[in-house]
Amino acid sequence: MSARMEGPLPGCMAKLLLLTVAAACIAAAGAKALAADDAAQKLEEGKQLFHARCGYCHLTGGTGTIMLARRLGKDRALLEERTDLKADYIKKITRVGINGMPPHNRIEVPDSELDSIASYLTRPASARVAAGEKGGTP
Amino acid sequence: MKWELPPRVSEKTFQKALDAFAGVVGKQWVLATDEDRETFMDYYAAGDADQHVPSAAVGPQSVEEVQAIVRIANEFKVPIWPVSRGKNLGYGAAAPRMSGTVVVDLGRMNRILEVNERFGYCLIEPGVGFFDLFAYLQKNKIPLWMSIPANAWGSVVGNALERGYGYTPYGENTRNICGMEVVLPNGDLVRTGNGAMANSKSWHLFKYGFGPSWDQLFCQSNFGVCTKMGMWLMPEPEATLGLNIQLPNPDDVGWAVDELAPLRMRGVIEQSPSIGNSLRFVASRTQRSEWYTGDGALPDDVLRDILKKNNLGWWTINLRLYGYDEVNEAHARIIKEAFGRHMQQEIEVVKWHRGEPIENSGAGVPATNALQIINWRGGRGGHIGFSPVLPASSEHVLKQFHSTKKRYEDIGVDYYGSFTLFERYTTNVNMMVYDRDDAALTAKVRALFKVLVADAAKEGYSEYRTHLSYMDDVALSFDFNNHALLRLNETLKDALDPNGILAPGKQGIWPKALRAERA
Repeated sequence: MSARMEGPLPGCMAKLLLLTVAAACIAAAGAKALAADDAAQKLEEGKQLFHARCGYCHLTGGTGTIMLARRLGKDRALLEERTDLKADYIKKITRVGINGMPPHNRIEVPDSELDSIASYLTRPASARVAAGEKGGTP
Repeated sequence: MKWELPPRVSEKTFQKALDAFAGVVGKQWVLATDEDRETFMDYYAAGDADQHVPSAAVGPQSVEEVQAIVRIANEFKVPIWPVSRGKNLGYGAAAPRMSGTVVVDLGRMNRILEVNERFGYCLIEPGVGFFDLFAYLQKNKIPLWMSIPANAWGSVVGNALERGYGYTPYGENTRNICGMEVVLPNGDLVRTGNGAMANSKSWHLFKYGFGPSWDQLFCQSNFGVCTKMGMWLMPEPEATLGLNIQLPNPDDVGWAVDELAPLRMRGVIEQSPSIGNSLRFVASRTQRSEWYTGDGALPDDVLRDILKKNNLGWWTINLRLYGYDEVNEAHARIIKEAFGRHMQQEIEVVKWHRGEPIENSGAGVPATNALQIINWRGGRGGHIGFSPVLPASSEHVLKQFHSTKKRYEDIGVDYYGSFTLFERYTTNVNMMVYDRDDAALTAKVRALFKVLVADAAKEGYSEYRTHLSYMDDVALSFDFNNHALLRLNETLKDALDPNGILAPGKQGIWPKALRAERA
């Protein structure tokens, strides 16, 4: 058993490196304000924001994913793969926290960004199908 | 949660101050709803979050905005509490020492202004997180390594200002500071060290400047708001060699410290190895109820059984050597010989060479998984850290270990401690993990904390950092010549901040007008 407290679990390494790229892209994404009617691009923006603001804990191997697997089971641990989340619930939990997850204030995640993240996490089945995602069955 | 206005400030004046803040940063970045206030409170508090309730928060994006906020705070005598990213978890997070204080969240000031590969430093703003800087270095393939703490959600600048640490040879983060830009409590702007020369070519190379050196005066203090920091980064080594060591028995920590400390002081070991009780690995991956459901602290025989099942010793050391292969091998031989004098257990060796995946290198990759421990007791978990500094010798380490473990067991909390070895001292971080909704337990934890501070002070051990609620206790334990250091700090405080607006009570330093608030 590898026992290095200060290091992350091995499973999350690849996702953490992906997160670094997402974080680096976020400023550019913000600058390219997308047309309001371009749903796919808005979802992509929401995805990037989710990775940058929530990815610290909520990607594969992250601490939030591990905590959710313990509470709800592995099938419901990765927020991106969930199809049962409601936008209002996501927004409320982000602001007030839940169990081990601290609240996020409106400076680190402004309301506009939270709207975008919630839209991404509650994207319709058709968008999941279009993106070829697991769980995209209409 | 009930909130209150700052002392000396009427509701009308407070509103005027908020309006003035909004005039500087825009209405969107002045947060003053009940929900907003709660987002800046100490989420993991041991039942005392109501002692540190902010009245509002403001989010500036530039140094000019910080200066304007400080001037407004003076005009209306509204106290402000700057945070870099507000992730000082276990020590109060973003919450202020004194209720009614307005949090100034610098998270929007998140620019990486320079990374100098040749001289190995960066110049960054306080909102830059460990993940952000790591991403930047990776994306631009810059062969410089950061020093990353166990929970990396926070700010690089904030962690160095609070004297946090990581695990590489550059692990003492406050030691890496080289030149800051600081907004003073009167709104003036200074640059420390050689940055005081406007066209200096060595702001982030030479720490001391000319005359008094100020960088450390802005650490763990309330003398200024750091808006930029120069920080040394470590050149990527040619190779690393890790030694993962399991110590079988509780008292092995004594001889291990005596063997390792001289090697650390002589530079055979350049990083600061952490000797931690192995329960922390079990606690980060499982819950207590999976192992034990009885009353009181985990009994020693149950713990033995848990460790055996997980193939762990009582203590674990993850030591790492950085540099040329041949040198690492020679140093590893010396370390193995030292341990071989006391134990037969095999030492796991992990090697990395430049070009291989960084996650195996000992460079540190940012993660938040250390937070898993708060689930140990079940319910809504929280944690707080008691962290005295001891001489790096078995005499002190064993005495403190047994005394703390006994105190934990007296209130039914599982012992969770580590000794991180620096050249001459060791920082003994003791975590207390609790269910925040267990009022009886959190009350015991709060009482225990004060006992631990008093125990340590009696032995001549001071804390390197502490939670908001115990800043006064720890500050008062520095009692030479009837607290002469506190008098000096408060003389300086009153000179720099006559209106007492900047972080009143931080590290037990109170401005003249608010000294009645001292606990």
